[in-house]
Amino acid sequence: MGAISSFNDLDRYREEISSSIREDIPRVLICFGTGCQANGSVKVAEEFERVIKDKGLKIGVDLGVKTTGCHGYCENGPLVAIKPKDILYLRVKPKDVAEIVEKSIEGNEIVERLLYKDVNTKQVIAEYQSIPFYKHQQRIALRNIGEIDPTSIDDYILRDGYTALVKALKMDPEDVISEIEKSGLRGRGGGGFPAGRKWRSCRNADGDVRYVICNGDEGDPGAFMDRSTMEGDPHSIIEGMIIGAYAIGSNQGYIYVRDEYPLAIKNLQSAIDSAREMGFLGNNILGTDFSFNIKISRGGGAFVCGESSALMRSIEGKVGEPRAKYIRSVERGLYDKPTVLNNVETWANVPVIIKNGAEWYSHFGTENSKGTKVFSLVGKVNNTGLVEVPMGITLRELIYDIGGGIPKGKKFKAVQTGGPSGGCIPESLLDLQIDFDSLTDAGSMMGSGGMIVMDEDTCMVDVAKYFISFLVEESCGKCTPCREGLRRMLEILTNITEGRGKEGDIELLEELCDVLKWGALCGLGTSAANPVLTTIRYFRDEYEAHIRDKKCPAGVCQALITYRIDPDKCTGCMVCARKCPQQCISGEKRKPHTIDTEKCIRCGICREVCPFDAVIVE
Amino acid sequence: MEKIKFTIDGKEVEALKDQNVLEVAQENGIYIPNLCSNPEVKSSGGSCRVCLVEAHQNGRMRLVTSCNYPVREGLEIKTETPLVKRIRRGILELMLARVPDAEVVVELARENGIEEPRFKKDEGENYRYKCIACGLCVQVCEEVVGVSAIAMLNRSYDKKPGTPYMKPSEVCIGCGACAYACPTGAISIKDEGDTRKIWGKEFKMHTCSVCGKPYIPEAQIDWIVKTTGKDRSFFDKCPDCR
Repeated sequence: MGAISSFNDLDRYREEISSSIREDIPRVLICFGTGCQANGSVKVAEEFERVIKDKGLKIGVDLGVKTTGCHGYCENGPLVAIKPKDILYLRVKPKDVAEIVEKSIEGNEIVERLLYKDVNTKQVIAEYQSIPFYKHQQRIALRNIGEIDPTSIDDYILRDGYTALVKALKMDPEDVISEIEKSGLRGRGGGGFPAGRKWRSCRNADGDVRYVICNGDEGDPGAFMDRSTMEGDPHSIIEGMIIGAYAIGSNQGYIYVRDEYPLAIKNLQSAIDSAREMGFLGNNILGTDFSFNIKISRGGGAFVCGESSALMRSIEGKVGEPRAKYIRSVERGLYDKPTVLNNVETWANVPVIIKNGAEWYSHFGTENSKGTKVFSLVGKVNNTGLVEVPMGITLRELIYDIGGGIPKGKKFKAVQTGGPSGGCIPESLLDLQIDFDSLTDAGSMMGSGGMIVMDEDTCMVDVAKYFISFLVEESCGKCTPCREGLRRMLEILTNITEGRGKEGDIELLEELCDVLKWGALCGLGTSAANPVLTTIRYFRDEYEAHIRDKKCPAGVCQALITYRIDPDKCTGCMVCARKCPQQCISGEKRKPHTIDTEKCIRCGICREVCPFDAVIVE
Repeated sequence: MEKIKFTIDGKEVEALKDQNVLEVAQENGIYIPNLCSNPEVKSSGGSCRVCLVEAHQNGRMRLVTSCNYPVREGLEIKTETPLVKRIRRGILELMLARVPDAEVVVELARENGIEEPRFKKDEGENYRYKCIACGLCVQVCEEVVGVSAIAMLNRSYDKKPGTPYMKPSEVCIGCGACAYACPTGAISIKDEGDTRKIWGKEFKMHTCSVCGKPYIPEAQIDWIVKTTGKDRSFFDKCPDCR
């Protein structure tokens, strides 16, 4: 048994640690998410420590420098927040540190050049909560990320961590399940299956041993929701799993994380260890007769291992391949025992639901999709990063109000949701309210929450080709439709983008999509046709232009475009001619230049370097 | 064992709960084309997708592989609907383009109205002989023989069965069960004189003391003696002369 061996112990412990904290003393929070670390936040933190020490300011009780998980606003990292004033500094470099300490910690000033400046309104904003990127968010699953040091269990406990566990352990397991059912929580990993119903089926299934699993095998290109949660707030996942295990009657849990997420593995392991030391994990948790342990299972990074049955095989040490789920894993899952598998975000929602009640939670969201959803908003959008919004928000609000719109005044073209096997949603559906069902109706899906924004310079056939080539690589190859169908789709798409498309190709693609949708073995295969189906559904004219007119309207597909110089705009500055790797641009100084289209490899460098926008793609 | 009733193509049939649809259909003289499943190999099935049928239950319809779909009371199976035919044809066309030389596949495709696939047939370095990558050989070797000399290698369209690193296996006993089980005859097994060649390895064959025919690899005898405790002298005579 750990340090906390009864329900009352936890309250006592929290009071004890909170009495040593003084909220009025400045604290520095430095983002140690993967993105900010890559941008140099480790050096920034070292510099803070050094400057504070040199100045003789006291670290610790009086002045805390904390390293936190990802704040979500990754493109502006490294992020530094100063509490309690709630100032957020962006793109902080080590050389800025001395000034921040002098002005914002010792003094009462603000370093204006490091503040957020709105690209559209040019407004400068100091307060974290007032920045549009954060203002429209509703952070439930991400409630602690960026606020706590993920390696400190005390930080988590101070923010009411493990109170939900105490509450759950005082309840009957059946009532815990009812609470989750009433909340309307649906699985955040892709399928959107009601979590409470899954738990109940598992509790009612025959068997003496049961397992709970956390699916942390996030593999969608451009998605990092679960990664940030595992790195930035591991205890909320662990607490959720303990509550789930208690509800279904399980003593062993697994967290499946891909090995490409070393920081997630490190922080989760340290959280598991400290939870065990404190008595939240292990035998006789908090003095009850309930015992539960969690092991981390490291995956090799195969996309298909995010599929639940493949994931379970992988934990068992077998090749990660899906099996037919005619008998569901709540009856026969890991090691053929009843198993509940939920993803990271689902588990992270559980403690808040238990703590605040189902009614509080179901107050957010839409009729059939309750609560919030975390999205990784990436692509051609001004504010990229991690956002959590209530279900039912429109795509337009997400992309324009939070994302700040499309950079460089370009036009929005489509948004791809749900990962590689999601679909592309066009401008006409921008006012679509985002929830599980509306996205499926639009031919896409919620998936795990990837959201890739594309502007007018994107070729939708090329996009379909990109996702299909990803899926060809990642198909496990077990069933014929996925293994053979995807590569044939890729062949056809490649032909179309390289000018060899022919009449009937679109129909053949549709036929293949049909075979995949109905015939493939697992969810990966049955949804793999979505990128092709939706781009055909919403952008059929683009396919036709490629096939019939041998033109790429977006000017992307190299085989179908030519570069030309507009003689009226060209000033003969010769920049393009100097940069052209083929040396196929000629002309005299201060006179319009021309491109030898025979030699041109359509690399686009001339267009990029031209100061007068004189290079035209046709 | 609990008995249940359900229908296949409108015909009421009786079966044991958890039997699979394909088995019950065969018992009742209903033909469902199939390749990758073998009733003797429990882990087999579900990969070629040729045996797809419509399963109707509780007001819901989906396509399921009959070879591993467990039957339930009240289930309604339809084996020849337009949807089943369309998807089966699509699968066979894809398969035919992969293994244009596999007679079984050519024949099945023809039965379903496909003479030539609309995709480029695999050739050159993509030539896969007759292998449809169903994995039955691997399952037989693991589950029935108990040796696990081969495994499915790679993924996606490069998936194929093979020995580790495609080198002669240290554990293969040359029994040939994989080749006998293969639905398309894709595994090469050659017996010449008293030598058998399979998976790139040569095996010395044991000769029958009566008829003088080499009939079983020595390595297979070693394996059987080791795992069952059978007396070695039992193998003096071949099954025909015993």
